Amino acid sequence: MKQNKKRFLLLWLCICVVLLVSALVVPGGGESETIQEAMRDAVLHETNPISLFGLCTVNPGYISSLVVTVVLLVAALLIRVFFIPRFQYVPGRFQMLLEQAVGMFDGLAKSNSPWRNGFLGAYVFAAGAYIFTGTLFELFGFQAIATNGNSVTLPAPLSDVNGAIMLGVLSYLVIFSGAIAGNGIRGIGSALKEISLLISMSFRLFGALLSGLLVTELVYYYIQLSFVLPVLVGVLFTLLHALIQSYVLTMLTALFYGEMSERKERRPKAGKKQAGEPLQNV
Amino acid sequence: MSIPLNIDWQQILLHLFNFAILAGGLYLLLYRPVKNFMEQRQNHYESMHQQAQQDREQAEKLKAEYEDKLSQVEAAITQRKTEAEQELSQLRSQRVAEAKQEAEAILAKARESAKREQEELVSSVSKELVDMAVTAAEKIALGADGDPYEQFLNLAERRTSHEQSR
Repeated sequence: MKQNKKRFLLLWLCICVVLLVSALVVPGGGESETIQEAMRDAVLHETNPISLFGLCTVNPGYISSLVVTVVLLVAALLIRVFFIPRFQYVPGRFQMLLEQAVGMFDGLAKSNSPWRNGFLGAYVFAAGAYIFTGTLFELFGFQAIATNGNSVTLPAPLSDVNGAIMLGVLSYLVIFSGAIAGNGIRGIGSALKEISLLISMSFRLFGALLSGLLVTELVYYYIQLSFVLPVLVGVLFTLLHALIQSYVLTMLTALFYGEMSERKERRPKAGKKQAGEPLQNV
Repeated sequence: MSIPLNIDWQQILLHLFNFAILAGGLYLLLYRPVKNFMEQRQNHYESMHQQAQQDREQAEKLKAEYEDKLSQVEAAITQRKTEAEQELSQLRSQRVAEAKQEAEAILAKARESAKREQEELVSSVSKELVDMAVTAAEKIALGADGDPYEQFLNLAERRTSHEQSR
């Protein structure tokens, strides 16, 4: 048993050393762009647009979002067809995972907005799944060909400013709809008071995901940093901020939705005295 | 008008379209079925809980009824026991009285019988004494010399000592 373990360790170390040596010996393509250009492109996506089925050019982030959407929908379809009909009252592991995910977002909606939460639960579930899966998507490093012929690594969908703005604005609109549903016309006023959410939610998401992307980009740009460190930066940080960003956006949306959709009682006008109220001596 | 940061309305709308499809699909395929199943299970367990509660209430009601009946039966048993004890004591005192009466009758009979026997004994003894006196007188009168009275007394004395020695 111990001998087997030693053999495995030896073999594993040999493979690692061979891979390291070959990575250093084999000539690389060299940097085709400076670090400034790479990071500017990571932020703005101006230099490497991708053709969307020949209809128009889009940022690589949009292609990522398409892939994520298709993957999520196919996974959901498979789960719906093969797993959900076999659900048991005493759940197995996978069923428990699904129930936990749905229950978590449903619970988030119910706890923050007990009076109105049906739509909110579905929205935060979709947004949470999209942010989490989209952020993890950048780990796979799928490649796409830009219109200028360059190979581009597909980033997280929400590291594209357009994607982040979409989700931020949509979240604000959901909050806005909750305000109107809860308080009618008066709700519009209270929702407009929180108009800063429109900007803050969009750019918080964009900034958080972009910072992750930039750090990863920076690390991968220099070959010296490409050993061991990516395990931490690339995998653990990505997992961590996938969780954190999903939680933050869904929690903020649920919180503001609950606050806005709460029915507010009208204050009695100061001039009018209610019937039966004793007169106060002045 | 170009917007800074490469913000593009067309792409925002494309992202929105994409997300709308995703949200709708996830709602229909995953969120609603799983939530429905969870609600169904919750309802199932709630109905089980309610059923159990109803059964419990019914059992408690039955228990109360049975306890009531049991206490009634116990009261009846106690009453019967008391009655039986009273009856027994009456019977006992009646028997004792009868026994006393019987004993008194036996005693009276025994006294009477004893009295009769005594009388018979006394009469037989006196008769025997008379016979003895007659016999002694005859003996004295017929054959012996000396004072008959003294002979009689000697004879009587001898007889008495003879009886004592026996």
